[in-house]
Amino acid sequence: MNPLYDPIASFGTGPKPLKLVVAGPVGAGKTSFVRSLSETEVVGTDELATEDIGKTFTTVAMDFGTLVLDGQPIFLFGTPGQDRFDFMWEVLCEGALGLVLLVAGDKPSEFSQARRILEFITSRISVPFIVGVTRQDLPKVWSSEDVAEYFGLPTAQVVSLNATRSTSSIFTLIHLLELVGAYQLSESFVSSDAGLAEPQNGFGQQ
Amino acid sequence: MSKQETLYQAINQLRASIPELRGAIVASSDGLAIAHSLSNGEDPNRVAAMAATALGLGKRISESLNAGSLTETSVSGTNAQIYLYAAGQKGVLAIVAPAGANIGLIHMEARETAKAVASIL
Ligand SMILES: Nc1nc2c(ncn2[C@@H]2O[C@H](COP(=O)(O)OP(=O)(O)OP(=O)(O)O)[C@@H](O)[C@H]2O)c(=O)[nH]1
Ligand SMILES: [Mg+2]
Repeated sequence: MNPLYDPIASFGTGPKPLKLVVAGPVGAGKTSFVRSLSETEVVGTDELATEDIGKTFTTVAMDFGTLVLDGQPIFLFGTPGQDRFDFMWEVLCEGALGLVLLVAGDKPSEFSQARRILEFITSRISVPFIVGVTRQDLPKVWSSEDVAEYFGLPTAQVVSLNATRSTSSIFTLIHLLELVGAYQLSESFVSSDAGLAEPQNGFGQQ
Repeated sequence: MSKQETLYQAINQLRASIPELRGAIVASSDGLAIAHSLSNGEDPNRVAAMAATALGLGKRISESLNAGSLTETSVSGTNAQIYLYAAGQKGVLAIVAPAGANIGLIHMEARETAKAVASIL
């Protein structure tokens, strides 16, 4: 297990935390993703949803979680999904070194919204990103290849995941970090965590 | 009277009792404008979303620092102050007051309005 990151104890020493942002439409799994990865208690801001969005709560400000991956501290910021909170996309993306854009693989009607969010963010800051296609454990989901085609992205930039499972989320994170150039998947890391060796839904499709 | 009419009555009453207010708005805690009276043409949808964000963050801060459940939070600028009151679990009341306004009076009135709003929602 990774040691918990203590920002105060490590201030000025050790590697600087890497700020990553998780964006995407309502219900894509942003909050689930941050919760499944964080090793510290997540700061969540979910409130009762008044619109019919297929779930009871929705994020109104942000999700914040932290983890340490192979010695690299990571700060994860989840965003709200609705357009009315677009000011938070800007606030949270400031200084971000990587972006995970999540889309629910079983809700193709929301892909265009996902694309608008991506354009909103990438037109304001230049940040490396990957697209994560969630809900791969459910039937009738779009594959990462199909979503890559939809977004006009190389298949290497789109991954499939189950955002509620940490083993699945961590592979997505590693994929982004490799793209950012901040991380090389080390042998020791893979073998030190038995959970990672187990095949996950969604990964077989790549 | 409909819910919305009752809410409008509540915020109009608040504005009438404190004429110097520049605006008042009731939003759901997930950021949708429900009733608003903003004098300077601000977009109520945007103000509602920001009010919900500020209140949502305030709630977490309040809980994390063992301050109990949040009653209000504020933003002060050189020209105006914005006060955001929790209206039960479902809503938020935000008011905009010019700098130098009588905050004691505003709190007294607005807290009552927030209570009324909570019971309506
Ligand atoms: N089966 C399955 N359920 C998922 C997956 N990702 C998210 N969910 C579920 O989908 C629902 C929505 O997830 P959230 O994490 O709240 O979505 P969000 O993107 O944060 O949504 P907003 O904050 O409202 O924008 C929750 O009930 C999750 O449990 C997944 O990969 N598989
Ligand atoms: Mg969320």
